[in-house]
Order: sequence, then structure tokens, then C-alpha cells
Amino acid sequence: MSEALATISRPQRWDVPFESEMGAEAVARILSIPPFSQIDASRFPASTSLPDILLNDTGLRSFKKNQVIVREGDYGNSAFFIITGSVRAALGKDAIPAEVLGRRQPEKKDFLSTLRQLWGNARYPEVRSLRRYKDAKAGTEHEKVDTTAIFLHDIPSVLKGGTAVLTAGMFFGEIAALSRTPRTATIFAEEDCELLEIRWQGLRELRLRAPEIKQFIDTNYRKYSLENHLRETKYFKDLSPAELKEVANQTRFETYGSFDWHSNYKKNRDVAPEERIKEEPLIAEEGQYANGLVLIRAGFARMSQKYNQGERTASYLSRGQMFGFDEIAHNWNSKDSAPLQYTLRALGYVDVLVVPTSVVEQYILPKIPQSEFPPPIVAQIKQINDRRDGELSTDVVEFLVDNRFINGRATMVMDLDRCTRCDDCIRACASAHDNNPRFVRHGHQIGRYMIANACMHCLDPVCMIGCPTGAIHRNALGGQVVINDTTCIGCSTCANSCPYNNIQMVEIRNEFGEHILDQESRPVTKAAKCDLCVEQVTGPACINACPHDALTRVDMQDTQTFAKWLQR
Amino acid sequence: MASTLTFFSKRRLINFGLLLSAVAAFWVLQEIYANGIHATAILSGATLFGTCLVLALFNARKKLPFIPLLKASTWTQFHIYAGWFAVVVFFFHTGLRLPDGRFEIALYIVFLAVALSGVLGLIISRIYPSRLRLYGENLIYERIPGLRQQLQTDVEKIIWKSVNETKSFTLARMYESKLKDYFSTKKNTLLHLVGSEEAVNDLTEELNQLQRYMVASERVFLAEIIECVKAKDNLDMQATCQGVLKYWLFIHIPLTFSLLLMGLLHGLMALAFN
Ligand code: SF4
Ligand code: SF4
Ligand code: SF4
Repeated sequence: MSEALATISRPQRWDVPFESEMGAEAVARILSIPPFSQIDASRFPASTSLPDILLNDTGLRSFKKNQVIVREGDYGNSAFFIITGSVRAALGKDAIPAEVLGRRQPEKKDFLSTLRQLWGNARYPEVRSLRRYKDAKAGTEHEKVDTTAIFLHDIPSVLKGGTAVLTAGMFFGEIAALSRTPRTATIFAEEDCELLEIRWQGLRELRLRAPEIKQFIDTNYRKYSLENHLRETKYFKDLSPAELKEVANQTRFETYGSFDWHSNYKKNRDVAPEERIKEEPLIAEEGQYANGLVLIRAGFARMSQKYNQGERTASYLSRGQMFGFDEIAHNWNSKDSAPLQYTLRALGYVDVLVVPTSVVEQYILPKIPQSEFPPPIVAQIKQINDRRDGELSTDVVEFLVDNRFINGRATMVMDLDRCTRCDDCIRACASAHDNNPRFVRHGHQIGRYMIANACMHCLDPVCMIGCPTGAIHRNALGGQVVINDTTCIGCSTCANSCPYNNIQMVEIRNEFGEHILDQESRPVTKAAKCDLCVEQVTGPACINACPHDALTRVDMQDTQTFAKWLQR
Repeated sequence: MASTLTFFSKRRLINFGLLLSAVAAFWVLQEIYANGIHATAILSGATLFGTCLVLALFNARKKLPFIPLLKASTWTQFHIYAGWFAVVVFFFHTGLRLPDGRFEIALYIVFLAVALSGVLGLIISRIYPSRLRLYGENLIYERIPGLRQQLQTDVEKIIWKSVNETKSFTLARMYESKLKDYFSTKKNTLLHLVGSEEAVNDLTEELNQLQRYMVASERVFLAEIIECVKAKDNLDMQATCQGVLKYWLFIHIPLTFSLLLMGLLHGLMALAFN
């Protein structure tokens, strides 16, 4: 094989722009529109100048009247800025039925491609076709959800809830893009409109260096998304629009911990758990009066209770869950007063909304039927491991929280008392992935269970934070965290960020098994990790291949299913 | 009662029920054909051969993890119970006595060997995993030789340090006479297979006995060496049990293929000569 054929230029951040048709003229036009026109371009370094960000991280999109722009539930890797026209957001959960939204299943390999793996797999590990890099086009197969063909007809009849109109000069979709969470509303064009789509890497830099943009986006959230968030919360659904507005006005935003929590976590990993818990930012303390209902907006929090000289973790809360309701309800309903029964602490980073107790008492509690009230709080002495069937035991909860495995949506758990170490799972994974398994059968252990080193497709995938090209992203349909090999520049940022060491950097080869080199004869590396077999018709090959029911994937938010698996 | 059963117990009950039903159905069929010895032999022979063929497909299924052909664990369950079914049919077919003819005797023995290796495989796959976990650190099989080498290097360093610092040779002599060999290769395979810790206990006891001949500073090194002996024992135990778990299939599978080939020949001959 000639050396020239095994050599490519070292991939760079903007080798593959977000939109190939973005040109200097379009950039100049955007820069003339507020708030972009108000940005002080000198705050950006030369390597990532403002025009370069607009050129490479944004794209112009036109939408026709009633065309769907983003769908509720899809994972968004980008935000939108309205240049002309207006859009409408359908508010409330499942505001538009899934059939109307043309929701489809994630694309899988067809029958022939599935079969072709039998003979088509390369003989060497990590073989890549060089053509793939040379012909790389803007965007990627997974990053964007194709909504071009979806139009809403007869809107009044398909809409279940209310709507809100967003007009030229506003942003939307930034929360999902920046917090790595699914879109909370479906948005469609109110009239023909032109939008600027910004991939989140660009948006992050704009927020970082242009306070105008940050301010703009934050005000936007308070104005438009808060009510939507509250409306989706249990007990808030029955509020009238006026009441909801009033509750939203009195709600406080609070943020604990740092957004890039992984660096701190890695540093403190060896600190004893009882010491580490003291470092976790306190949100509410056991024994204090419940002066507000805490709603988790993003991130994780630990609920713990004093136990002898330490603290026992009772459970963990994540997006959409609340804290303090039982106590507020008890105090409102009975003569005696009960203080908070648990302490709530931020695990890494958490964004909360606090609805003051007086507001809950005035607007929420009177609407709840007596039968739905939580049982009164009775002082009782809790014992370690006094769990019922279908609940995780204290040691498991402590283990999951201490190691932050609570972040996993598809955590690989192995039962070592059933696992015969046959490695069928490893071989299956390798045969589905460039002859190189995407996980290691090794990891932290609690009793007979092991959390293997396999990507957990986290609720908060911090590995995505620093990726300069957006190569690591969420699959828009299933939310799996996947890597676009074409746009990965091998910088290792994601591998260093993953708190669980679940990304490997691999040296790629050509079909003859030779390493692919860059111009300076250094091997070209790419990030590789489990993609949950997103393209395989069978789903995760590892689970499928295990002959002894020793391996499963667990969504740590669904503790009941996990407890059931542990108690099989 | 039923609600207190775990998933695995429920599954075991259902599978056992299915096995009994299959045996009963087979027995009824045999009775229907009982009027002719030849017909029952063909029925049981064909059932046996067909079952073995399906059982052998499990190996092919393992090579096709990305094709939707049910989960491997479902195949394992089927394999276990269909295996028991094959054993029952085998005894129906042979009538619980050794056949005539050398080829048939060979076939008889090969079947028993396949069945026995299968049962042994099942037993070790149920016993060894927890033993591996409880014995010591969970290790990746392929890394064990490297870890063993590393451990031996570490032990030699400790011995050198001990000699340099204490100027006493008790440990060094022990290393030369006994420990060098212990650390250089896998030891006590048979004892590990049956789960005995006798060898490591004897060795640590022997090392502990040395204390009385040591200066105080040398005892610190002795304690380190004892830890290394235990670590080496875990390496050996992991290598032995994981090795057996991995390689018993290298007996079971080739025997199965021989069985299929011989079974086919036997069937053809039986049909041709009757
Ligand atoms: S790579 Fe790491 S941080 Fe990213 S989703 Fe996977 S486990 Fe989570
Ligand atoms: S889901 Fe697929 S890629 Fe991920 S570990 Fe399992 S087999 Fe490998
Ligand atoms: S396939 Fe199952 S039994 Fe085999 S090594 Fe993997 S988890 Fe263990």
C-alpha cells in the first residue's frame, strides 16, 4: 500500500462546517441583525473569531407556514434564532400527537447490510475507508432530525394545549442544546420564516464571550420556558393560565455546583465518601422548616438522612422530581408541624426551581383531592437496608451515588455470580464495531454486581461539553450518545471529560491494516465508545449475546426495574 | 406461593414442565408406533439426531450476534432442556444397554461424552462464577500472565530490599528454595478446580513459621511476601477456573460434531441395511 493512500490531513475543528452553503455574505447579514450586531467581536480570539463561528457553526434555514421545526422529545444539538417571520410553540406534554409529528424509529441497518457483516467485516481492528473522510459533507446523519417533510394540518384540532408565539429576534431550543436534554416543546412555523440554526458548540462560545447573548437567552427562558416546565410538573397541571403565571413569577431559580462537574468529581474520587458528602452544596437541610418546594430542572441531587454519626443516602433525584412536598402538605393538613425529613445536596451540578411554601399553599394544595395527599409524616427510626421488594437497598444507592452511576440511562450491569467470563459479549460487540469491542469487562463492583466500563448514555453526558466539532452528540431520535467518526478530530477532550473512562482513543487503519497517518506521520486517532448498537437490528449486541442472563442495561432513573433485576 | 418465586425459579419450573411434556409426547408417539420395533427405532433415532442437530446450532447462533435470532440466553435455556430431552430419547433408543458392533459402541460412548461434558459445563458455569468472585479480585483472563510476571518482579524487589536493609538471608533462602518456583508458573490447578485452599494455607503457615528465625525488621518484609503469595494464589485460581470455563467448550463442541457425523452415518447404515 503506498504511503500516500494511508495518509490524510490531521482533522481540524471546522473541516466539516455545519452548513456548507453558509458564505461570507450570509455572515455579514447576520452580523447586521441585533443582538449579533451588538456583540463586541474583539472579545473573541483569532482562532475562533465571531465571523468564523457564524460561518462554521451555523446555517440558514427556511421554513414554510405550518412546517415543523423541532419536535418535542427529540434530542437537540442546536438552537435557533428567528431572523424573519414567527414560529409557534405547542405547550404542554404531548401537545401534538406523535403520529401527526411523523415520529419515526431510529434508522437501523437493513437486512442485507446486517447479513453483509458476516463476510464484510475487516480483518483488522478499527479499519476506516479513507473515502469517508475525503467525501465528508456538512452535518451528519444523526445530528439533525429531518423535519422537512412534516407539516401540521388543521392545527386547532391537533393541538391539545395552549401555544405561544415567538417572533423575529428571539432564540429557541437553546435549553435542550446546552443542557443536553430532549426538546420540551414542538415548534412549527407560524408563517414562512427564516431561521439561523446554531450548533451548540457555537452557541456555547457566543454565550461565553458575548454577555448580550447570554442575557438575551436567560431572559427568554424566564419568559417562555418556565411556565411550560411548571405545567409539566405533577400537581401543577390543574392551575389556570393566570395562576400558573403567578406561580412562575414567584418561583426562584437556584443553581448549585459547577456545570463542568466532572473535573471536580475526578479530583475528589479518592476522598472518603463521608468527607465528600460534606463538600456537596447544601440545597435544603433535614430538621429545617420546608420553606419551598424544590423542583429539579437539571442535574442530580442526593437525598440523605442523618444516621448515627454519618449520613445515609435514601435516594437520588433528577430532572422532573421534587423535594419537600410531603412536609409542606403535612404542615398544611395537620395540626402539628413536621420539619424536612431529609437533606438535599447537589451532586456535581444542579439547577432547581424553588416555589415558596406560601405559593404552594395558596395555589397548589387546595386543588389536590384529599385522597391524593401523601400520608402524614410519622416520626420513625429508620434502619439501614429496611427496603421493601422493588426498592434498591441502601448500599446499592450509596454505591450508585458515590460513583455517579445515577447518570446512566443504559448502564451496563453484570451479575458476576452468573457471568462465566466467556467473553461472548465482548466478541459480539467487536463483530458489530470495527473488530474492536467498545467496552471492557471490568469496573466498579458492589457485591456480586459490576458496573462495566461501557458508555452509559448518560442523562447528563458531560463528555459532550468540550467537543469542538460536535462529533460526539446525542442521536436525535433515541438520545443515545454517539460519535460521528467523520467529524471527530481525535483531540481526546471527550475521553478526558468522561468521568467513567468509557471512551477509548483508537488509532485507525486502512483496509490493509496499516495505520492511517497525518501529514507529520503521526497516527490519526479517533474517539470510540459504545453506541448502544444504534444501527443494529438486534439492539445492544452485548445483551443479546450473553448466554447466562448475566448482563443488562439499566436506566438508573427507573430504580424499580433495576431493583427487580437485582432481586431476580 | 407463585408470587414469591423469583424470575429464575419461575423459568426453571416452566422449562421443566415443558421438558416433561416433550418427554410425555415422545413416549405417546413411541407407544403409537410400538407395533414395530423398526418403526420405534427410526422414530427415536430421527428424534435424537434432529435434537442433536438443533442443539449444535447454538454454536452457529453465537457466531451471528447481530442477526435477530432470539437472545443467546434463550438459546442456552433451550440447549439445557433439549439436552436433557436428548438424553431421555437416547435411552429410549438404546434401551439402556450397550449396543452391538464397534461403530455403535463408539457412537454410544461419544454421545455419553457429549452429554457428560455438557452437564459438567452446566455445573461449572453455575458454581465457578460466584467462587471466582468470592475468592479474590476479578481479573481479565488474558491479563493474568502479565500480572503473574509483574508479581514475581515485585516479590524479587521485596527480597532484595529485605537483604539490603536487614542483612539477613532467611527470606532470600526461602525464595530460592520454594517461592521462586511458586511465583514463576501456575500452581495447584487440581486443588483450585475443587475449590480447596489447602495449598496456599500450608504455604502461608510455613512462611509464618519462619518468623521465629527473623529479626524484627525482616518480619515486615515477610508480611509483604505473604500478601504476594495470596495474590498469586488468586491469580492461579482465576486462571484455572476461568480457563476451564473458557475451554470446556473445546471438548464439548468437537465431540458434538463427531457425534453428528457418526450419527448421520449410523442412520444411513441403519436405513440401508434394514
Ligand atoms: S462517554 Fe461517559 S459521560 Fe459520555 S455518555 Fe458515555 S459514560 Fe456518559
Ligand atoms: S451496546 Fe453494542 S456497542 Fe455498546 S457495548 Fe453493547 S455491543 Fe458494544
Ligand atoms: S457474555 Fe455474559 S457470561 Fe459471558 S462474559 Fe459477557 S456477561 Fe459474562
